[in-house]
Amino acid sequence: MKLYVYCLAEKLGGLPSIHAAPVLGISGAQVDLLKVEDFALLVSEFDGDSAPSVTRDNALAHAAVVASVLNETTPLPFRFGTVVAEDQLRSYVTARREALKAKLDQVRGCVEMSVKIISGSDQADVPQLNEMDEQGPGARFLNEKRRQILGSERRSEEAKQVAAWLKEQVGTYVQQEEVSLSQTEKLMVAAAHLVAREQVAKYRDQLTMARKMRPELHFLVSGPWPPYTFSNIELEFKTRFGVS
Amino acid sequence: MSSPFDQMLIESDVEQLEQADLSLLETLDHVLNRGLVIAGEITISVADIDLIFVGLNILVSSVETANEVVRNRK
Repeated sequence: MKLYVYCLAEKLGGLPSIHAAPVLGISGAQVDLLKVEDFALLVSEFDGDSAPSVTRDNALAHAAVVASVLNETTPLPFRFGTVVAEDQLRSYVTARREALKAKLDQVRGCVEMSVKIISGSDQADVPQLNEMDEQGPGARFLNEKRRQILGSERRSEEAKQVAAWLKEQVGTYVQQEEVSLSQTEKLMVAAAHLVAREQVAKYRDQLTMARKMRPELHFLVSGPWPPYTFSNIELEFKTRFGVS
Repeated sequence: MSSPFDQMLIESDVEQLEQADLSLLETLDHVLNRGLVIAGEITISVADIDLIFVGLNILVSSVETANEVVRNRK
């Protein structure tokens, strides 16, 4: 029997519940509390070796279990699909005890806010050359490539400017951030902000004001989330031991 | 199943998407792409098609255990 792992926290008073009803995990499984070292882990017993399928219900169940402890503490969420044997999980936690503690220190009292900024402009803004119709197929191909590259460079530059502007607007309330630029043609900026719980209201107000300043951009704001983006300790492990 | 994030703010001026869709997309973005990963491999499937493969070459073991494995191999 393996375990499906939802999250790790410093300590938990008991099993999570929503309106006094116990929270159910993946495929309706019971959620258990497993104590390892100084940590509490939320897990479910899981039949099979591979990760459960990504279904709407499974994804929401995973998220619901992690979110259910957010009022009590700030957990480190595991990625969807983490299925391990209990001894492997214990070994993982024991071996990385210090890194996990450091990560919990970093996120303590905080939540994650997500901001995605979508461009309102179109790639067609990059002008086509007038003489293209008179060119042969090779020249047309190269010109089209040139147009694509120019468009990509322009989007990349715009994304950098928008990311810097966003940081200027809400940076006061952000303890840590992870920003991706130009993940897709339309998605200019995807930012995750680690914000102290008591600052979330001010952060939202500031963001609302900022949005009004840039009506040409579309915003998708969500949160508060458990700190999914700020949980990974892979980087510290690589840095410390020089492996990847 | 309703969203676990009834109290979560999801604001968007992006047209064409319903609030529930946005909530699900944001949830998927977080739970599938981010979070702690334990040493090992995770293959995530949708409708029996493997979509994401996470392979990690991280050894979680004490040096003594690793040495014992090597000695046993010899």
